[in-house]
Amino acid sequence: MAANRPDQATHVTAAATLTEAATPTGPGADAVVVAGLRKSYGAVQAARGTSFTVQHGEIFALLGPNGAGKTTTLEILEGFRARDAGRVEVLGLDPGDRSNGRALRERIGLVLQDIAVEPYLTVRETIARNAGYYSAPHDVDEVIALTGLAGQARQKVRALSGGQKRRLDLALGLIGAPELLFLDEPTTGFDPNARRDAWQIIRGLRGQGTTIVLTTHYMEEAQALADRVAVISGGQIVAEGTPATIGGRDTARARIRFALPAGYTAADLPADSGPTGAVSAGGLVTVETAEPTRILHQLTGWALRYGMVLDQLTVDRPSLEDIYLRLTGHDEPGHTTERNPW
Amino acid sequence: MVSLTRQQAPRRDFALLWHQIRYEQLSFWRNPQAAFFTFLFPVVIITIFGALFRDASGSSYFYGLSALQYYVPTIAVLSVLGACYSQLAIVLSTRRENGILKRVRATPLPAWTYFLGLLAHCIMISAVDVALITGIGAAFGTPLPTHWPAIALALVLGAASFCALGVAVASLIRNSEAAPAVVQLVLFPLVFISGSYMPIHSDMLNRISGALPVRPFNLALTGPFAQHSGFDWKDLGVLLAWGAAGTLIAVRRFRWDPRPE
Repeated sequence: MAANRPDQATHVTAAATLTEAATPTGPGADAVVVAGLRKSYGAVQAARGTSFTVQHGEIFALLGPNGAGKTTTLEILEGFRARDAGRVEVLGLDPGDRSNGRALRERIGLVLQDIAVEPYLTVRETIARNAGYYSAPHDVDEVIALTGLAGQARQKVRALSGGQKRRLDLALGLIGAPELLFLDEPTTGFDPNARRDAWQIIRGLRGQGTTIVLTTHYMEEAQALADRVAVISGGQIVAEGTPATIGGRDTARARIRFALPAGYTAADLPADSGPTGAVSAGGLVTVETAEPTRILHQLTGWALRYGMVLDQLTVDRPSLEDIYLRLTGHDEPGHTTERNPW
Repeated sequence: MVSLTRQQAPRRDFALLWHQIRYEQLSFWRNPQAAFFTFLFPVVIITIFGALFRDASGSSYFYGLSALQYYVPTIAVLSVLGACYSQLAIVLSTRRENGILKRVRATPLPAWTYFLGLLAHCIMISAVDVALITGIGAAFGTPLPTHWPAIALALVLGAASFCALGVAVASLIRNSEAAPAVVQLVLFPLVFISGSYMPIHSDMLNRISGALPVRPFNLALTGPFAQHSGFDWKDLGVLLAWGAAGTLIAVRRFRWDPRPE
């Protein structure tokens, strides 16, 4: 798991600003267990035997198109909705059992999709009010500082910008010092800087031992944050793994692409390096191969021998988004790639 | 260890309730609209009536009372309806629609603490309202009441019952935009036939409104306010029954989530 967290060391400082560390229930126990979860709304099946587990201390991302059942699954875990069938355990408790409600809500935090905060209190008052609901909350000012709201602490909530309200929402999710934090599309509507700040906070929380379950539309976000991702489509998990290996990403054939030099055709290329599929209208050649090193050597050798330049040369593997689109049935090959500079 | 936890739990629950009441009060006083309308409307009405009827003496039209002796308790009841029934129905349906109730549900705050906090908040606002109206009545020469325990009981019971009815209405209407209209649609005719704005001299109408919640509240407050009578158990009983009915609907039908399942 550590191999997926090259950025962890950088965020120890962010994590250190919150004094209380979350305590996992016990070694080995999973933070979340979902097995054979079913939920229908009339004829619509939002969950059709969904199964996955989330380990303590990891960031787990649920990816899926709108209506795939992400929010329904999350709301069942949060205790907002009742399930039709299946087993669900959150921190060892059944969220469907109302008698667990208060004990569970002491230990989980949530940031829901829509912003909802009362307009007339100040930022500090809003956070202090919610802090009073928990038996062992974080320090109010530490959470204000962590979420970057120090400058707005005395402002009325209604005077905040959309992004600031979203950060207040995150502060309210954190204030109870949760062991497990649910984030439903946490950075939707953020500008790139705000998104990176939010990622920094989320990584910092993981650094402290907080388990995080998030849903997102942004592949970039899943790639940057998640230890493991699960792709949900039509109410079922269609793939699960680390962002680097999900859907066979690591073993998929590499793609070499370049513009065919003027005056040459695909037939002029070395025998092994023939294009996979047709040459695009713009003269771009795509070669899919299991041996990118040898093929690239052959191609560049060919180009140097004739004194040519291979314009727009890239080598990549399918991006998380390519895999996602394939898994959710919206395959558009060749359009979304993650540049991998060699 | 176990006994220690048991001793601390009620204290913590009480502290939590107080915490909740404080923040309800803070939100209320910070919202100029809510504070303004809850107080302004009954104060304006009683001031107008005061100016109109300040010199009128007792008449049979007002059951032997002076006009202001009649109006101070009925307008006081009107202010309690605004502070409890209307406020709760509108505030709760708005908070639900905005997703604020769902956030409350996501915290360990017990539902009963949330509602008890709202109830206590509304009773406090009602007390301020009634004190204000009594004071204005006194400024126009209405004698102050003497039977305070009966007034306090009628006030608390009436406020609680109308809070329950407010929560019940918020449970039954789904759309927060419709809330103010529904609230007024129910309240205005009810207040009118209950004699809040003018005495009703129709036995049939009084029998009907006597079984509905507003007239019993008027009577339970008018007795100790103006007629030197004590506890009006029959009318308090009717109020209590309506409060119980409202509570039952609220418990069974209240939703925290803006989207029904």
